[in-house]
Formats: sequence, C-alpha cells, structure tokens
Amino acid sequence: MLERSEWYDIARDTNWTPSYVSQEALFPPEMGDPYGIPTEEWETFDEPYKVSYREYVNIQREKDSAAYSVKAALARSKFHDEADEGWACVLKLHYGAVALTEYQACQFQARMSRFGPSPAMRNMSVYGMLDELRHTQLQLFFPHELVHRDRQYDWAHEAQHSKNWAVLGGRHAMDDIMMTRDAITSSVMVSFAFETALTNLQMIGLSTDAANLGDHTFANLITSIQSDEARHAQLGTPTIEIMIRNGRKKEAQQAMDIALWRVWRLFSITVGIPMDYYIPLEQRHMSFKEFMHEWVINQWERQVQDLGLERPWYWDIFLLDIDNHHHCQQGGIWSWRPTVWWNPPGAVGPKEREWLEEKYPGWNESYGSYWDVITNNLLQGHEEKTHPQCIPIICNMCQIPISHRPGPEWGARAYQREYGERRYNFCTEVCRWIFDTDPERYKDHETIVDRMYSGEIDPPTLENVLKYMGIGVISEGGRDGHDYGWVEGFRAQAAE
Amino acid sequence: MSAFPILSRFQQDAHIKTVEIEPGQTMDEVAAACAFHSIGLHVADKPGRTLRVRPTTEDDSAPPWPRDLTVEKAGIRFYDCIDIYFEEPQ
Repeated sequence: MLERSEWYDIARDTNWTPSYVSQEALFPPEMGDPYGIPTEEWETFDEPYKVSYREYVNIQREKDSAAYSVKAALARSKFHDEADEGWACVLKLHYGAVALTEYQACQFQARMSRFGPSPAMRNMSVYGMLDELRHTQLQLFFPHELVHRDRQYDWAHEAQHSKNWAVLGGRHAMDDIMMTRDAITSSVMVSFAFETALTNLQMIGLSTDAANLGDHTFANLITSIQSDEARHAQLGTPTIEIMIRNGRKKEAQQAMDIALWRVWRLFSITVGIPMDYYIPLEQRHMSFKEFMHEWVINQWERQVQDLGLERPWYWDIFLLDIDNHHHCQQGGIWSWRPTVWWNPPGAVGPKEREWLEEKYPGWNESYGSYWDVITNNLLQGHEEKTHPQCIPIICNMCQIPISHRPGPEWGARAYQREYGERRYNFCTEVCRWIFDTDPERYKDHETIVDRMYSGEIDPPTLENVLKYMGIGVISEGGRDGHDYGWVEGFRAQAAE
Repeated sequence: MSAFPILSRFQQDAHIKTVEIEPGQTMDEVAAACAFHSIGLHVADKPGRTLRVRPTTEDDSAPPWPRDLTVEKAGIRFYDCIDIYFEEPQ
C-alpha cells in the first residue's frame, strides 16, 4: 500500500471544472468566497496538519472508546455526590452553553465542506464536521446520566431551545460568526479567532481543573475534544494567508476583530468566573488573568503578527476587560441568580477575597465594596435584600448586562447609538463598533430587556419573565451554591 | 404619558439598571427611585449626603438638574442614561 505522503496531495487537491452549471452557481460567493479570490489561489491552501480518512476513523474510534470506557468505569463512583456545588456549576454552565453550540459548529464545518473554494479546505472540514458531531454527542450523552440527580443538567439538551438571557447571548454571537457568514469569513472568525485563540486553550485549562478536582470522566472528555480542536482550528491559518496575499488583509482583520471580541465576552463568563470563583480555592491552578496573559496575550498575539495581521484596534480595552468583565458578571449572575440554570456560589469569603486581591490588586477597593453590601445584608439576616427588584440594561450586541468596575473608579457606562427609530445600548465601544460595521445586519434583534418593553413578554412580571426564559419550566432557577456558607468566615472574624 | 424606563447609572454601582420613572416626578423623586435599586443592595449608603441627578456624559462633567425639575421638563426620554451621584458636602 502506498504511504500517505505518496498520494495525499493529489487526492486532497482533486478539483473539477463544472460543465452542467456555472462555477458561480456551484459555489455561490455569498456561501463560499465573497472576495473573488481566484480558484488557483485557493488551490494553494495547505493545512499544517494532515490526515487521511482511514487514519481519522482509527484515531477517532480510539478516542471515543477511551472517553466512553472511562465514563462507564466511573459511573458508579460517588464523585458527583460529594463534589462541591461550585464544580457542579462549572459542569452545568459548560454543558448548557457548549453542547448544542457544537452542533452549530458542525453546520459551520459542513458549510466549508460544501462551499469552501479550496478542495483542501473542503477535505479538512469534513473531518471538522465529524469532530463537531462527535463533540455534540458526547456532551449531550455525558450530562444525561446526571439529570436524575439534578434537573439543572437538563439544560445541556434544552438551553439552546430556550430564550434564557444567557443563551440569547451565546446564540446571537454564534449566529453572527458561525451560522450566517460565508465559508471564508467564518473560517477566519471561528477557526482562527474563536478556536485557535480561545476554545482550544479553554479545553486545556478546563481539563487541568477537572483532573485536580478528581472528575476524571470530565477531564477525559475534554481532553478527547481538545485533541480534535487542535487539529481543525488550523483551517483558519491558510485561509488568512491566502486572503492577505490577495489584497484582503483589511477584511481578514475585521473578521478577526469582530469574532475575537464576540467570543471573548462569552468566554470570560464561561471560563473566567469558574476559574476565579466556582472552583474551590484549594484547587485553583491559576487565575483567569494569569491564564489569559500566558496563553492568549503572549502566544496567540504572536501568531497574529506572524500571520501578517495586527492585534485588534481595541487591545487596550481588551486588557482592561480581562481585569474586570468576569468579576462584574460574577456579581451580576449571583445577584440575579434565579435567572440562570446553575447555583452560583458567591464564593467571596475572607480567604477567597485575599486570593482575589493578590491576583487582581485593587479588587477589594472596587469589587469588595460591592460584595461588602451583600455580605452585610446576609450577616444581618436580610437575604431578601440581596435580590434586586429591577433588571440591568443589556448590551444590544453581546446581550450581557452593561457593567463595569464598581467603587471609586465607577467604570460602568452605556455606549448608545440611534439608528432608524431605535436607540441601542452597548457595553463598550467595541460592541458599538461591531454594530456600526453593519447596522442592517444587527438592527432587528431585541435583548431580553427590549422584549419586556416591546410587548413580547406580556405582562413583563417577574414570574412571566422567568417562565419566558425557561426558569421553572426546564428546571428551577439558581440559588447560592453554598447556601451562603461563604459569609461564615466574616461572622467568625466579627466574633473574634 | 405613562411610566417609561431610563438607564440608572448610580455612582459606584457595577451595573447600569433599568428603572421606570414618570414624567411628573421631580429629580429628587427620580434619585430616590434609582437609589432604591442600588443603595443597600450593591452600593453602601452615605447618610447625610444629597443625591443629585445629571445627564450622563463622556467626562461626567454635566451639571445636575435642579432638584425640583420634573422629568418632563428635563426632556428625559425612553432609555436615556442618567447619573445619580452623592453631592459633595458644601
């Protein structure tokens, strides 16, 4: 039998000239390449990682066997009975946010495999499509056995079919970058900005945390998925190289800038909050900020520059956001905890606050002032005062509450834009800039708050809003994951 | 005209909150309505200090509206963002 290297290139690069239909009818620009880059240029597409179908099937079969056998072996363990609720939050948040997003990614890869202008891209994205289908199956199947313990795990299946505010945020971003773009633009946005910059690294961090906590089933699952991500994320690099070579650097840059910010705003919540709040203090292996600086700021930025792109124009805002966004949203998600499908622990007892101050100098003066008020209410037995009776305004782009650093620096600010007959609110200049790149694309979407005032949620009572978001329908909403146990350290301090 | 939502940017709060106000309310009443959703919940009170209201601007330099000015006369509209802040002692 021939070695792979002896037949791979010719098999991968096989292309054809259509005779029954035009090239444009076969590969409509709006689905494939809207930039008009010549076919012969796309035929130079050369992915760094090569695999044949035979090899792919063998490798994937082994990965699946390993993941499922570890799950089966540990099915009777008492890990989930004894695990901290903070870790359960990580799992519930992860599965709800990720499982069916993987299926969206499967459709994104399918679009590249059908409409990609390069035969090599079409070949590689078939593997990517199969990868994402496998990830969907794994991340629907694994939480399924946990549903009988806790109904909140059912959000793995249900979240993407709901109108929960947090899901709207994920869906708006994924619909934007993954579901409604041509094969080339979405390859830059998803393969390079999303998967290379963030997802692949998230998987590495998450599997380390899972192993530290003794959740070997999840650690194994995530490692199995990460090894696929590391391969198919490489589809973005040759795409960008060809775009730059053919005078489309500006378009590649804009696609990357939009996607990185869109995914960052979600990533910071799904990864930053778990790393700095949900994972018990003793098991934290690094802060989210350390993780971001080591893996994204240092490594991904270098990749961007090596490719010939610039770092995004909003880099300084991005660095500031690393210090703030997830801390704000930890406060917001905890305060409006009945609206989410997991039980977020406040997790800001004396020791945790000491750690946060060490990792984020100035945390006590800013975020500490916010939690001081909450802690005092709990210590005085006024739990009811920890539940706001209003709603935060939501960003019309990322769909996340508009928030920023509290305390003396007082950073919260709404960036507004009038367009048509509507007023739009944004959390940052960056989300407003994304809107401005194509207002017609974004103008009709309504945030959960807009829906309360447009009559879609009628009447907009608390009970109705929660039901609209699937709370009390799919499962009960969130409560403090540690039943406020984290304030006891302050009570003990006061007694001394 | 009935109640409508504005964006309450309350001094030192982490979140910008939607608060419903009415055209006939004075700025003191608006400040009280917004304070209800921030003080004692996410922001510590500063007893003895007066709350003032001003339009939100990029550099936080707008003068406050008179305390007895009504929402209607101030021209505050749906989704306008306003600052509510503690006045410095004279």
